Amino acid sequence: MTTVSLVVIIINIHIALILATGMTPILVWWERRVAGFIQDRAGPNRCNIGPIRLGGLIQSIADMLKLVFKEDFMPSHIRYKFFFTLAPVLLFFCIFLTFGVIPFADDLIIDNQSHMMQALPMGLGIMWFLAFAGLSTYGIILGGYSSGSKYGILSSIRATAQVISYEAAMALSVISMILTYGSIHLGDMVVAQGELLFGFIPAWGVFLQPLAALIFIVTAFAEANRAPFDLAEGESEIVAGYHTEYSAMRFGLFQVGELAALCAASAIIVTLFFGGYQIPWLDTQTLKSNIDYVMIAIMILVPIKIFILTSWMKKNNNWEDASDIRAKETGILNKVFWTIGILTIALFAWFLSTGLSQNGVAITVAVLQVLTFIIKFFLVALVFIWIRWTLLRFRYDQLQMLGWKVLLPLSLLNIVITATYIVVTGS
Amino acid sequence: MGIKIVPRHGKSLKDKLYLPAIAGGMKTTFKHFVKNLKDTSNLRTMSYPEVQPDDLSERYRGVHRLTKWDDGSEKCVACYMCATACPADCIFIDAQERFDGVAEKRPKQFKIDLLECVYCGYCVEACPCDAIRMDTGIFSFTGSTREEFVVDKDYLMSNERSKDLNDD
Repeated sequence: MTTVSLVVIIINIHIALILATGMTPILVWWERRVAGFIQDRAGPNRCNIGPIRLGGLIQSIADMLKLVFKEDFMPSHIRYKFFFTLAPVLLFFCIFLTFGVIPFADDLIIDNQSHMMQALPMGLGIMWFLAFAGLSTYGIILGGYSSGSKYGILSSIRATAQVISYEAAMALSVISMILTYGSIHLGDMVVAQGELLFGFIPAWGVFLQPLAALIFIVTAFAEANRAPFDLAEGESEIVAGYHTEYSAMRFGLFQVGELAALCAASAIIVTLFFGGYQIPWLDTQTLKSNIDYVMIAIMILVPIKIFILTSWMKKNNNWEDASDIRAKETGILNKVFWTIGILTIALFAWFLSTGLSQNGVAITVAVLQVLTFIIKFFLVALVFIWIRWTLLRFRYDQLQMLGWKVLLPLSLLNIVITATYIVVTGS
Repeated sequence: MGIKIVPRHGKSLKDKLYLPAIAGGMKTTFKHFVKNLKDTSNLRTMSYPEVQPDDLSERYRGVHRLTKWDDGSEKCVACYMCATACPADCIFIDAQERFDGVAEKRPKQFKIDLLECVYCGYCVEACPCDAIRMDTGIFSFTGSTREEFVVDKDYLMSNERSKDLNDD
């Protein structure tokens, strides 16, 4: 193993780590602010470090600190303390592992040696994801069961039944995707999605297999324990479900795990159905051969984006009381964003003037693809949050009805259609 | 009296598909989201400590005040009607004789325990002299000890009618 491949793997593990855990404060913040805006209220926006509020992002950091310093209380009636402690760890760890197989960019070629842009460079792909996504539910089941309270047990039972009924449909919808792409390696699937359909539509999974996409997205909601399928923590009936008895960082780990599950679900949805790291109409080869034009386009786009952002802040990010230190935030952030913008332009201008080597082009393209992946990832996460604040929680029997009577037959039908098409056309 | 037959929903194909309804709901929430994101002044909330509510109703019951004659002396005649009417037992009055001819008695001390008070307004109704009122519009009374919430005559007489309300 060379130094280069070691560095690439370390970087990839860090990207996975950031996407799994580092996104938690950001997603908590999004969840609160999006919920606020959907319900015509502001959401948390007052917490500050000096003048910096970042629109309320500081609040999630404050919450995190609170959870860290809270008393780690364990009720005396808990008999199996080991399992009680293991449950949130299991949940979080399994979800974190699912990130291992998600390709963040196309294979990076440095000095004619190809490196997979995955945290775990292996071809198990979707099988690894299904295995660990399924296993992560054991964290919830174990947590509820070892809590030794009726709410926890009810929640565990619900989680179990839900997983059994939805995992079947999920796996079957994935089978039709495997039939379409002819591979279980997610990297191959994303490469296939870089092509064009009829010459102008990107061949994304959602256009090739709309039914499978719908089923997979619905079941991913159930798998990630998100509304409208978050029966396991139906707070109107069973208090907080499986994490009723948890406190402090043990509870925090459940919370992180839950949001990491959201992240994992959006990452896999992006990878399977929305073209992964592919920039629409620009596959890796086109990007590499036209890297100069791409860089010029970015140099034009970045100032425009920053201008839109800063003018939005000038209009909306104000503080009523001008003497308060928080009133200075917009000015400071304006300077920060423009500095970032100018540095980006300067960097690309330097690249353009000196010209990039073969390796430089490969790395630039990889960085662009990682950024594309993250943007798509955020958009899907936004959809998750948006749906949570729109739809009501399903009733338990309706949930099972939907799983067994609708999603399962539909996914079987989809497999039959896909298989027939492949046999008839031979591709 | 006619019978109104409520139509049952959920039988048509569109209802059974369920997705059009979801799309409709998501459209509504997205409209709200975009509207508020574009211009946060569309939000229905106010940023509270900086912006104070100015839509108090005439009947809003805030912290009490003792009304005064034009010369600044209290209208209260220490008749104990308010203390008797109080369901929370939070009014404490000490009476004393009054010599200036306005009334026979005046309160030597007049205390209200705002932690006990349920803000029902019975004291205002019971008062025969219009001496106690709850029209100050003060809705947030804060303190760090229990003793600070037992307000005395001086404080109650220093309260004025809320500026947001019409002159009576």
